[in-house]
This record gives sequence, C-alpha cells and structure tokens, in this order.
Amino acid sequence: MTRLSQEVHTASPAPGADPAARQSAEDASRLREAAERWRAEYAASVGAQPDAVNRSGIAIEPLYVPADAPPSFLDRIGYPGQPPYTRGIYATMHRGRSWSQRQLVGLGTPADYNARLRRLIEGGTTAVSLIPCNSVFRGFDMNEVPAELLGTCGTVVDTVEHLETCLDGLDLARTSVALNDPLPFTLLAFLIVAAERRGLDPACLAGTSNQSDYLSHCVANHMFFRLSLPGSRRVLLDEIAFCMGRMPRWNTLSVVGQHMQQAGATPAQAMAFTLSSAIQYARDCIARGMRPDEFLPRFTFFFDVSISFFEEIAKFRAGRRLWTRIARDTLGARDARAWRFKFHAQTSGVDLTRAQPLNNIARVAVQAMAGIFGGLQSLHTDAWDEALSTPGPAGARIAVATQNILREEARLTDVIDPLGGSWYVEQLTDRMEAEIERTLAIVEDAGGMYRAVEAGLVQRMIGESARRFQEHIESGEQVCVGVNAWREPDEGQTHLAQPRPDPARMRSHLESFRRWKAGRPAAAVSRALDDLTRAAHDDTANTFEQVVAAARSGCTHGEICARLRRELGTGQPLAMI
Amino acid sequence: MPHPDRLAAILAGERTALARAISMLENDARGAAALRAALRGRCGRAHVLGITGAPGAGKSTLIGALLGAFLGRGLKVAVAAVDPSSPVSGGALLGDRIRMGSHAGHENCFIRSLSARGQLGGLSASTGAVVDLLDAAGFDTVIVETVGAGQSEVDLARLADTRVVLCPPGLGDEVQALKAGILELADLLVVSKADHPLAGRTAAELRDMLALRRHGGAHPGAGTWQPRVLEVDAAAGTGLEALLEAIEEHRRAIGCGRRLQAREAEADTADTAALCARLAARDPFVTSLGGEFAGARPGAAEVALAIRAQHLNFNGTCHGGVIFALADTAFGLASNSRGRLAAGIDAHVTYHSAVHEGERLLARAREISRSRKLAVYRVDVERADGTLVAAFTGTVFITGAHPAGEGTSSRSAGGA
Amino acid sequence: MELRPRVLVTKIGLDGHDRGARVVAACLRDAGMEVVYTPPWQDIPAVVKLAIEEDIDVIGISSLATDHLIVPALIEALRAAGAGDVAVIVGGIVPDEEVPALIEAGVAQVFHPGAPLARIADFVRSAAARVRATRFPDAR
Ligand SMILES: Nc1nc2c(ncn2[C@@H]2O[C@H](COP(=O)(O)OP(=O)(O)O)[C@@H](O)[C@H]2O)c(=O)[nH]1
Ligand SMILES: [Mg+2]
Repeated sequence: MTRLSQEVHTASPAPGADPAARQSAEDASRLREAAERWRAEYAASVGAQPDAVNRSGIAIEPLYVPADAPPSFLDRIGYPGQPPYTRGIYATMHRGRSWSQRQLVGLGTPADYNARLRRLIEGGTTAVSLIPCNSVFRGFDMNEVPAELLGTCGTVVDTVEHLETCLDGLDLARTSVALNDPLPFTLLAFLIVAAERRGLDPACLAGTSNQSDYLSHCVANHMFFRLSLPGSRRVLLDEIAFCMGRMPRWNTLSVVGQHMQQAGATPAQAMAFTLSSAIQYARDCIARGMRPDEFLPRFTFFFDVSISFFEEIAKFRAGRRLWTRIARDTLGARDARAWRFKFHAQTSGVDLTRAQPLNNIARVAVQAMAGIFGGLQSLHTDAWDEALSTPGPAGARIAVATQNILREEARLTDVIDPLGGSWYVEQLTDRMEAEIERTLAIVEDAGGMYRAVEAGLVQRMIGESARRFQEHIESGEQVCVGVNAWREPDEGQTHLAQPRPDPARMRSHLESFRRWKAGRPAAAVSRALDDLTRAAHDDTANTFEQVVAAARSGCTHGEICARLRRELGTGQPLAMI
Repeated sequence: MPHPDRLAAILAGERTALARAISMLENDARGAAALRAALRGRCGRAHVLGITGAPGAGKSTLIGALLGAFLGRGLKVAVAAVDPSSPVSGGALLGDRIRMGSHAGHENCFIRSLSARGQLGGLSASTGAVVDLLDAAGFDTVIVETVGAGQSEVDLARLADTRVVLCPPGLGDEVQALKAGILELADLLVVSKADHPLAGRTAAELRDMLALRRHGGAHPGAGTWQPRVLEVDAAAGTGLEALLEAIEEHRRAIGCGRRLQAREAEADTADTAALCARLAARDPFVTSLGGEFAGARPGAAEVALAIRAQHLNFNGTCHGGVIFALADTAFGLASNSRGRLAAGIDAHVTYHSAVHEGERLLARAREISRSRKLAVYRVDVERADGTLVAAFTGTVFITGAHPAGEGTSSRSAGGA
Repeated sequence: MELRPRVLVTKIGLDGHDRGARVVAACLRDAGMEVVYTPPWQDIPAVVKLAIEEDIDVIGISSLATDHLIVPALIEALRAAGAGDVAVIVGGIVPDEEVPALIEAGVAQVFHPGAPLARIADFVRSAAARVRATRFPDAR
C-alpha cells in the first residue's frame, strides 16, 4: 500500500473552485509536499497492510483525493492528519485504529457492576466506563433519595469502597476508565484514592472525566447540574489545574454537545454551542495562568448523532475545521495536538420511536454510519429498546453488533473520509460551517458562552428549535416512520425490559452503607469537610485537591456534594418555555 | 352567601377551601357574587404589597426574597401572581412561582398564579376580589405581582396599600418611557438587579425625575409620603434590608387600609350589589312575578325565578313573556349597576327549550360593550344544570342622569 | 360559564431532561389551558402543596428515566392531603410491563413517546372537565 491515489481518483474538484484557475508551480509543490507527508505518516503508523480489495476484485485505496486539486484544496480540505483536519484528525483514521466501543451500563449495586465487568475483562477489554445511578448524578447519597429509584439507571457508588468493589480485578494502570462524573468529580477522587491504596501513582491513570461540562448541564437542565454557575466554574478549573500537573494521561474535560442537541438544538447549533463552551473553558484556563498547549490536548468532545445523515457528517467535518482555526488562531495554541478535535459520539435516542420499535435498529445503524463518516474517535450505539425503557441485554448486544457489522462486514472503514470531495458533502460542510459561525458570533456578542447561558439566551434558542422540530413532526413535514407515516394497525407487542435491581440486594447495600457510615472516624470526616469549606472560600486554594483529601478521609459522595452546594450554591435550573 | 361551613374554612385560611374560592372568583362562577359580598367587612387587616414592573424586571425573584424575610419573621404570607395570557388561545403558562424559590413549600406561605385573561394592565378582572379573599383569610401580608402596562394606575391603587414599581437597570430612554406610565404611582421605586453595571445610573435618573415631580404637583393617593428610590439585588440579597424597612415605614405611615379607602370612592362590586338589590326590591313588577335578586357587580347582574303554575301558558309550559321579563329584569339591573340611569331602547330574545313548572331559572346579564351613550348586554337564561333556555340581547341609552333616589323604574331599562 | 382547566406540568425524582415537559406545557397553553410549569426535581410534598393552592385539575408528570416509579407515592400523598380527585397522567418512557401497576395506583393515563400532542390535550381537557364538575357542581 504505497501508491497514492492520484491514478485512481474519481472525485472532482472541490466546490467553489474556479476551473479556469491555473495552479502555480508553488501550489503544485505544496500539494506534493502534503501528499508526501500524509503518505509517510500513514505508512509509519499502519505499516505494511494487505491491500483492501472489494468483491469485484478492485483494490481499495485508503484515501482518495482530486487529481486537479485547486489551490484552496489544502486550506479547506487537505489531507487527514493535517490542518484544518476536515478529513480527520489522524493520517490513518479508522484504517489504522478503529474507534473505541464504549457500551457498559451497569445497574444496581457495585457488586452487580463488578460481575459484568469481569466478563468484559475476560474478553480483554482495555476501556471501561462507569455510569452511576441518578442519585449519584444529582449529588446525593443513597439514603437521601426515594429508595424505589436506587440503581435503576446506573450503579450506586457513594464511597471509595464502593468504587473499589466496582473495579475489583481491573488493572488500573492498563485500562482507560471513562467516568460519568460531573463536578466536583467525586468519582475521580475515589479513583485516585483507590489507586493510592493499591500502591499506584495516580499519574498512571488514564481515562476521561465525562460530564464535566457544566455549561451544557445548566442549559439542558440536566440532573448533572449540581452547583451554581460560579461555583461550577471554580471547581472545574481546580480539577483541570490539579490534573495538569499530576495526571498527564487524564482527559480533564469533555465538552458536550449531546445534551443540547437532545434538548432540541439543531445540529449546527449544538456544534456552535459546544465550540463556544470550549472557547469559554479555554479562556478561563488561560486566565488562571495555564497554557493552551498544556491543557487543550486533554479536552475532548462529545456529540449526539441524529438520523439526519449528511447534515451530521457535515457537522463533524465543519466542526473539526473550525476547531483547528479556533485553537490555533483564537486561543493561540502552537502544538498541533491541541488543534485536533477528538470526539466521542452517541447515536441519538430522540430519533428512536416506540411505535414499531425494531425499526430503531435501522435508525441506529444510519446514525452510526453518519458518525463514522464524520470521523469519530469513539462511539456509543443506542439499543433499539431505549425508547421503551432501560435497554435489556439483548438490545445492548444488537447495538454492539451494529458497530461490528458496519466496520467488518460493510467495511466502512476501508477508506478515510470516503465522502470527501462529494459536491454535496463539501458544499454542505461549507454551509454548516457558515451556520455554525453565525451562532458562534451570537454567543460571542452576548459576552461568551458563560454569559449567554447565565442570561438564558442559549436556552431560549434551543427551546425555539425544539418547538419548531416538534411542529414539523406534528404537521408531518418531518416524517417519522411508524409515528406520523407508514403506521401499522397492530403495534401491541410488549417488550421485556431490563429487570429492576433486586430490591433485597439494594436494601442490604443501603444497610451496609449506613453501618459503614456510623463506624467511620467522625472527627476526620468533619475536619475534611471543614477544610473543603475553607478551600471554597479561599481563591488561592484548590477545591478539587480538598475533594480528594475528603475522599481519603472517608467522606461520602453526598457529603462532599452537600458541603460544596452549601458553600458555592446549588445549581438552579433556569426554567423557561 | 357561600355555604357557612365553606365560608368558615375560607376565613380560617384552609388551603383547599381558599384555592377553590379563588377559582370561583376567577371564573366568576355561580356563587362568586355572594362570596364577594360576604368578604365585605372582613378585609383590611392584611398589608397588601403590589409589585409591578415590565416582564423580566425581576418581580418574581424579588418576591422570592421578600417571602424569605417575611416568613422568617413568622408572618403568614400570600402571593397572587398575575401572568399575561396568550392573546390567541386564552391559555397561559404560569411561571412566576418558579422564581419564588424554595419558600413556596413553607407552611405559612400560600402562592397562587392567576392568568390575566386578556385584561389590559395585567390585572385579571378578579384580582381585587382574590386579594380581599386572602386578606379575609388571615394572611398578614398579601403580595400581588402584576405586569404594569400603563392602564392599571387606578386598579393598582385599589389593589395595594404599598405600591412597589420595579425598574430593571437600563438606558435613559427606557426610564423616560416608564415615566409616562406606572412610575407615577409608585410609593417605592426599586431598581432591580443592582449588581448590573447600569443600576446606579438608572437609580440616579429615577431620583432626578422624582425631584422634578415634587415641584410639579402632588402624588395621587400618596398623602404626605415621599416616594423614594432603592437598589436591590434580589439574587444576592443586597439592598433587601433597606427595602424591607422602607416597606414597613410606608405601612406605618399610610396604613393597611388604603386600598379599601381608594376603592370606596367608586361604586365597587359590593356597592353595586347593594344598589341593585335596592333597585330590585323597589320594582313592583319583579316582585309580583316572583323574581329574586341573586347578585351583581359593575356591568353584570343575576336574577332567579322559580316557575310556578301562574307562569304557564295554555300549553302547560312556561310563558315566553315570563322568560322575557326575567331576562329583561337582569338586563335592567346590569345596565343600571354603574350608577348611571339607563333606558332600554331595543331587546331581542331567542327561546331554546321549553320550561316546565317546578324548574328554577337563572338570568345572567353581562355587558358586551359600553360607550358614553349606548351599552349592549347579553342575558343567558339557564336552568339549574346550566342548560340554556333563552338568549337575550338588549341595548340601552344612557341618559346621563343619576337615578333619582336610586331608581324610579319608570324610564329605566328593566321597566321599559 | 367557562371553568378553564388548570394543569400542572412537572417532574419529580432525579432526572432533569425537560424538553418533553416544556413542549407539552406549551401545547396545553396553546390549547387554551392555564398551565403551571415548574423546573425539574420537585419533591412530592411540594407538588401536593402546589396542586392544592393552584387548584390544579390535572397533574402531568414527565418521566424519562425511572422517576415514574415514585408516582404511586405522589398519588398516595395527594390522597392523604385530600386532593385525591386530581387526575395524574404520566408521559415519557415507561416500560409496558410497568404500566398496569401505575394504573392500579391511580394514574389516569400513560402517554408514551410519539403520542400526538393533540391527543394529550384532548385527554387533559376532558379529565380536567370531570374534576371541575365535581369540585364546582353548581358552577354552571
Ligand atoms: N443578576 C440578577 N438577576 C436577577 C435579579 N432579579 C431577577 N433576576 C433575573 O432576571 C430574570 C427575570 O426575573 P423574574 O423574577 O422572572 O422577572 P419578572 O418577569 O419581573 O417576574 C431572571 O433570569 C432572574 O434570574 C437580581 O437581583 N440580580
Ligand atoms: Mg414574574
């Protein structure tokens, strides 16, 4: 695999090109040089790989480029792994390394979670994720919420010991752990303490603080929104600063467009608001004295992929191109790793229907394809029964199989950015980029994302979009198969949901938590919480450092959250219609 | 008169009874007029605080902060929050409560959201009665949130003892616009969101305007009170103490009953009911027919009649003339309820269903339009179960003279 | 005489996703009803007090995670406070096999995703009319 694809190209010049324009000799050499660089990088990381050949015996190149590329080609589209990264952030993309599949949802008690995890470990997994129970998400301990709800949406993890039980048997130094862990990042603190107890240096921990983007939580009235806006702003910066020095492999921030698109933002708005949030966080870090080249490479992004196939592909391509410009020109990052727009995507649950629910398998497949062609780094496919209830194991299996089918049967990954060069896709990418920039400007005019969210501007814009979309569905303008079109008379099938956690086991988890709490050294706990209070009111202190210390002293998740709510204010939803 | 048990529950501040009574007043349901009458004489104990300002000025948030302070002092507090309704559907999204924070759950606190139901000036037609009800129910403080819109000066004066007008920090132009409207009636002018950079400037402009006005003339209904300007950041609580003090000072200076005094100057609902009852009692025809006066408010009246043998026609059903007479009586009272003599000049009736002996009819007259000289009324004659018996439309000529001795009926509409 | 329906649209429990609640609240408003709307995360005593003070006929609970599991407790609390006549409906993601238990507990109707707004509005209107008719038997 050494040939470049100039000989086999079928694509046409990029849109907007003036066909009459003559490439200067300089342009030609720039193009040659970019192609050489791509080829070298590709070969270096993929090595000698057998040619991909299709069923008709035709060899499939890893990349196709136009034969007569106009001068604008390199600036707007270029090669994968090269700015502006329109075609992907790595030279090899999925041909080199597939995306990570993150699927683990654990319900019930830590022991229940561990039982599932062990099966994954046996299968050789290198990436796990932990979704805690909604009681944890809201910032409470298990004894503070209605018992009926415990463990129905995730695992109940309130202490270091609970996390230790969850991850028992897992090699922490060798596994990437994705924690759904909104600020004040108690789960990360528990993980650090668990590592220390095993005699490990926390520097070896790799993974991501998912759900650290408090602005998105505030906008979507998400249950993750635990602390007031100013309090959240403070604690997030403390966590980034803490990890910067000590945990170089930890992705401190995942900027989330998903909640906003789920709440009704259009794909262009969701991308724009996410980029605006990233700009806000970066500026906050810079104001705190951190350098973009240091913190930006540890930012990741997380998006929804809807069924609007080409729109989503263009959204991701445009977002990647814009982020390169923002990171380099607006934020002043010099390191190319800071310009790379790494993102996880989840297929959108909003598109799934309850009517004719098996149709959802097809929907998820199309959404996943859009994400793959959009160049994602990590993918979660929803189970078809998500629209009916918490998905059962059979649904989860099909969701994983969908990814395997797309990659290994359909071979969607043979060619990097296979839709690049399509007149439609390239023009749509340009149009989406313009639309995203328009929204970026609105937010910028409002004083940046923090101010725009505080004033309710973003919420209002999303609310209007949600309303419009619903009207289109009600009017039939937006077809929804089985709902407003192609309805079938008999839809009375019942579906077997994920069983609720065993009440007896949950009760005993709760009891033992109560006993454990009563047996703690109370003085150490209250001292640690008071230290947290002091840190909250001392601008020179790092609150996250104190959260870790509190975890070390045996404070529970709920205690830490309650103390910070008291000192920094509770996250109040801005309800508006 | 409402059922004595129910009235007792309302006066005791029993939550469900109170809530139902408010709905009754809001919907002007049967019995509302009687309830209004029963409340009369039981009001005047509560201090009524009116909070007015443009949408988004920060009224609900401020009320949330005030609630915290009042409840903290052990007071019982009720809030009536009026939200504009959708002009298209008549529906409303009542969202003020959201901003009043966690105090809504306090046992000494009662919050009710009212829809303006298309009323200009942001006051629903029944707001005054609702405030009376909350007053009579034993709340120490009643807070009314309204969207001021220029038209409500008079209403607000009748509604609140202490009137707080809220101005968000803004530019001079907006303040000028305010001046033309509700600013004129403020006892206290509060610049909200005092944390905003423009707040200080807005406060200064308002003070200038107040100073100008002091030279200009008296402040209607203010007595010796000098309006003043305060700045409050309700979110952080800054300036709240000063506002509470000013409110208290105004209460001591002007007293709780000002809204009642302001109201007495006009023919209010209870007066109207009394006036109409007297008019009906002096009407020999109504008496001989057996009609019973059932309530009135400005522009509306109700008269009931039990159908007896003497009302029947040769066919054994109620005579059309009786139904017409019943409707015409309600029409006459409604058109004379505003204290101006009105004479009927045209009337028309459509009969919808036959009525039999033993049935009880209610004629409900309401004003459709009223100009200086002419007014049009619609009267529905209904059975006890609400089915429509007859629909009546009538027009009066307003003579301009006050009914001599309150109603020689010879030229008034009812006796025409 | 018109007794306009009074409806509460709210979320109890832990989840905060409120897109559906907002869309439904706006739709009921546009259908001519008076709708009290709250942010998510209301606790049950607060909802009961609100329903009484606001003279609510119908409570719509939006549940997208598993918060419908505490709706029976809400109905219990409404009854204990003498507001058992309020019609409670649930909208959102409720597994089929858990619907009968909700109905058993007194839920008037469960609306699943995709239910047309017009159908929800019709149901709420007639449920409200029934509640109003018993509360104000002689209103009209
Ligand atoms: N910063 C700040 N914001 C406020 C203050 N008072 C109200 N707001 C905000 O202004 C907006 C409108 O407030 P609201 O009380 O609903 O206004 P209303 O329409 O007049 O009742 C909300 O977003 C409030 O959070 C304040 O004192 N300071
Ligand atoms: Mg308000």
